[in-house]
Amino acid sequence: MDDLLAARLSMGFSLGFHIIFAAVGMVMPFLMATAHFLYLKKKNPEDLELTKLWMKGVAILFAIGAVSGTVLSFELGLLWPGFMKHAGPIFGMPFSWEGTAFFLEAIAIGLFLYGWNRMHPWVHWGSGLIVGISGFASGIFVLAANSWMNAPAGFDWVDGKATNIDPVAAMFNEAWLHQTMHMQAAALQAVGYAVAGIHAFLLLRNRSSALHLRALKIAMVFAVVSSLVQPIIGHYAAQRVAVLQPAKLAAMEGHFQTSSNVPLYIGGIPDVEKQEMNWGVAIPGALSFLAFNDTAAEVKGLDQFPKEEWPPVVTVHLAFQLMVALGSFMALLSVIYLWLWKKKVALPIWFLKTLVFSAPLGFVAIEAGWIVTEVGRQPWIIYGILKTADSVTPVPGMIFHFYFFLVLYLLLSVITLWLFKRQIQVAEQAVQAARGKP
Amino acid sequence: MIEILIFFVAASLLLYIVLGGADYGAGILELFPTDYKEEQRKIINNAMGPVWEANHMWLILIVVILFMGFPLIFNLVMVSLHIPMVALLLGIVVRGTAFTFRHYDAVTEPRSQNFYSYLFGYSSLWTSFWLGVIGASLDRGRIDPEATDFFLAYVSPWWGLFPVSMGIFVCCIFTFLASVYLIGETDRPALRTLFRKRAFVLNIAMVVSGILVFVASYMEGTDLLSKFWSHQFAFVFVSLVVALFVVLWIVAIKRRPLAARIVAATQAGVIMAGWFWVNAPVVLTLKSGPLSFYDAAAPAATLRQLVLALLIGSLVIFPSLFYLLRIFKK
Repeated sequence: MDDLLAARLSMGFSLGFHIIFAAVGMVMPFLMATAHFLYLKKKNPEDLELTKLWMKGVAILFAIGAVSGTVLSFELGLLWPGFMKHAGPIFGMPFSWEGTAFFLEAIAIGLFLYGWNRMHPWVHWGSGLIVGISGFASGIFVLAANSWMNAPAGFDWVDGKATNIDPVAAMFNEAWLHQTMHMQAAALQAVGYAVAGIHAFLLLRNRSSALHLRALKIAMVFAVVSSLVQPIIGHYAAQRVAVLQPAKLAAMEGHFQTSSNVPLYIGGIPDVEKQEMNWGVAIPGALSFLAFNDTAAEVKGLDQFPKEEWPPVVTVHLAFQLMVALGSFMALLSVIYLWLWKKKVALPIWFLKTLVFSAPLGFVAIEAGWIVTEVGRQPWIIYGILKTADSVTPVPGMIFHFYFFLVLYLLLSVITLWLFKRQIQVAEQAVQAARGKP
Repeated sequence: MIEILIFFVAASLLLYIVLGGADYGAGILELFPTDYKEEQRKIINNAMGPVWEANHMWLILIVVILFMGFPLIFNLVMVSLHIPMVALLLGIVVRGTAFTFRHYDAVTEPRSQNFYSYLFGYSSLWTSFWLGVIGASLDRGRIDPEATDFFLAYVSPWWGLFPVSMGIFVCCIFTFLASVYLIGETDRPALRTLFRKRAFVLNIAMVVSGILVFVASYMEGTDLLSKFWSHQFAFVFVSLVVALFVVLWIVAIKRRPLAARIVAATQAGVIMAGWFWVNAPVVLTLKSGPLSFYDAAAPAATLRQLVLALLIGSLVIFPSLFYLLRIFKK
């Protein structure tokens, strides 16, 4: 394996690992603060129990998010010095704000985790809420930095050097709005469904547990709202990509020849050699409509770009299809939940089982979406400006860097899963003990 | 603009060492054999728990200031010191997670608790050591972006007795800080005595390893000593450090934990500030010559935004940090 590929795998793996914990760190505090709010208002002991249960999860996952985020901030230079040389001064601004937000988050989480009975209850509650707000803000800043790589702005590129730098214009580039909205909604739905799934699992074992039912309901509020809004944001995001990065859109849809009245393929595997789509179900004119609100609109195909500037078409197309399929499924599930809720019936077992099955799907969708964003930008690291190959570190043996973090993170994942198993077991025992009481 | 940024880098480094360093020191302290293992663990959990994430942030801040404001420095360091940086990251990941897992594991049984403690202790030692190695490597004049040979380009910058001795020195400072800070974290006389003894031993170790740093630098030709003595404020620094030793032991004997904390932090701070001051504004000494903050600065528009973010950030961060310390470190 060459150093470029190894460096790309390293970065992809580090990001893919971190993003799970980042998403949890952004959203979970809001769930926690909701339960905590209910407790402070109604003094129902189950809400307090739930707050503390979720707090432990937040503490564990936040720590992993913080250290894996540290790794990433170093890896920007360890792996891509040729990129950071140019990009640091241009897209660094959102990172400097992210530093502030993250700092505030770290202070607030210390206050919340250890501040029980040391602060006024509502101030303590506020510290938990600030963890969520500053975490969410951190996410937006990081997304703004990433979006600049897709829609570079705020500088002039002269003879391989950036001049006339405007960091504010770079931060609020053409892609920042759709990328932040899309990712933040994705984090909400991923965490919402994951938490709902875990509590559905526990509810299946203890049908009478009020604690788990309450937990499930709180989580579903977040999951349902974000899952129903996400298709609209996703549609907007795709329209932006159609304008900003037509090569990425063409790869997402496996669209080779520029034409008008372009069909949308459901499924299918693109054949890059023959430049055609195999086994896809075509909906006539749908891609033209989705991209430009007009079934007759012309959509640029990959033929508009030299072949060495094509992103890996099959990977991007399949990842995109997977993301859309999972997003649609979560939206459908949300509609079913609303229908059940309106009928005011107890949640049927089949629905709880579906929720258990759906627990990881939001995170799978996030990973797939990031593959579309990052792999879809290739071979560019700054779209249209700088190639990934020209920014990789000169340090040889990057494969060892990759294996090193692969093994480290895999071990960390195993321990984390094991820890959560233990948390859930103890929570279950507590519920059973409570039930055993007269 | 650049002066403000140099100040922020120095201040962040100082706070990272004085606050974050003590968190590493606490982990190292747990490696020493003692009859009070359980109690010590509990004290360290409670002392570090609320603050370690915030203390860690100073490092992130330095990284962000460097890559946005001084990209040349960031790139040179990350390329030439790739290997020690990865070692440092390993330590940071293991230390943070092991500490958190130990505290939040729902089942507390000796086997898993001891395993987390083992990881926490050794990773603290490991991380502190590599921080010292990286610090020493900056000004040895062996960073050579032109080198093509693997050893010369990626190993030689940090390989040698001087960085190793600096690593040991940093471990000693951190553990010393932790011992002094922990005196005030318990009311039990036996443990207070334990931490006081540790502080005493480590203070001596600090002096010995400090001398070793100078000897090692002399042996490899970096000659820190003459560089240091030729500086106009050298005498002030040395007198200050020595005077602080005397003050420290007076307050320690008089059993004033808070005063001892402040003196110990000042002592570590003066050592760091001295090192920074002797070199400033040079950050890196390459094979081809010194590189200062001024040589490596990003365009003015970027620096303006960075300073703005740092100043506004400070308005939020410092009051919150103060509140955090007031709640937990009364």
